[in-house]
Amino acid sequence: MGLLTNILLSPFLGPVWASKWTLDKVDRVVREELTDDTPIKEDLMKLQMELEMGEIDDAEYVKREAEIMRRLREVRDWREQYGMSIGGGPVRVAGENETE
Amino acid sequence: MTAESAIAAATEAASSEGKYVYCIIRHDRSREFGEIGIGSGARVYTVNHNDLAAVVSDTPIVIYDPTRENVLAHEFVNETVMREFTLIPMSFGTVFRSEKDVQTLLKSTYQAFTDVLDKMQDKIEFGLKILWDRDKVVAAIERENDEIRRLKDEITRNAASSTYFARMQLGRLVEAAMEEASNRYVTDIHEQLKDVSVASRSNKVIGDRMILNAAFLVDRKDEKPFDEKVKAISLQYEDLLTFKYTGPWPPYNFVNIKLKLEKAT
Repeated sequence: MGLLTNILLSPFLGPVWASKWTLDKVDRVVREELTDDTPIKEDLMKLQMELEMGEIDDAEYVKREAEIMRRLREVRDWREQYGMSIGGGPVRVAGENETE
Repeated sequence: MTAESAIAAATEAASSEGKYVYCIIRHDRSREFGEIGIGSGARVYTVNHNDLAAVVSDTPIVIYDPTRENVLAHEFVNETVMREFTLIPMSFGTVFRSEKDVQTLLKSTYQAFTDVLDKMQDKIEFGLKILWDRDKVVAAIERENDEIRRLKDEITRNAASSTYFARMQLGRLVEAAMEEASNRYVTDIHEQLKDVSVASRSNKVIGDRMILNAAFLVDRKDEKPFDEKVKAISLQYEDLLTFKYTGPWPPYNFVNIKLKLEKAT
């Protein structure tokens, strides 16, 4: 019965499933994009390297570092919104609530 | 507004006093390290539990951005502590709410910290980044590789008539030879440093000129031999490679304790 219903109704149900699945996927991709700080940290390391190699001067470094920090904070905000862990900020040993 | 107060303003709970933790050492008394902490020279001291101590400074409860200024402050404290102690470095930006929470950390992770401190006793880390100058390496390859030299001569001689295919072929050969050369250099350098180091770890290279981004764990007594070896190798490759040699560092790349930490609200 279930299968038959699906087949019979498939022209109707099909596209709904498809679009829901697609939206979930888009949502996931967007979320990963918004909450991933790996490329930002790589940019920071590259910037550091450029300074060390004397390819950029201090002023340039400071300017670009500020931009990278802005991006890091943005990712941190998104991670908080999605309830994900963030590097930094107050921590305690998991499961022990001695402060309370 | 200073950077510090900007961070503080951006964080809601900036009022209470937290503890910024730099590293864990073995020491059974309290100890002062001077006013060298993160956030314009905070006093650095220890929080103790039995024979373990966390090196900390007072801090508002904030998230520290990994700016050069902040990272250098964190590293400077660890360098200072390192002159006298074997240490387990904490990740940059680790803040606990209270002294009691830091003691809980020491208590609950006592065994793991002790084991790692034993293992890291008198070990230090050196960083070695190696970059190459593409043009010089290509020139060296052309000198060594007959096939590439011949193909290149041919293309140069018949500039007008040389085919797209021949150029592609040359490009491919040069790419392959460069990859081979990079592997050869890296293997040789690792091989030469093997006897003067305890362990090594290769990290992801940064940018397109880097061929090696490695960390070496070295016994303090081998510091000088290691140093001399690196100098000798950099002389050997002087014409082709640029060496970025840093350290001694705390064993950042060789301590892997997964602390079970959660966000303190």
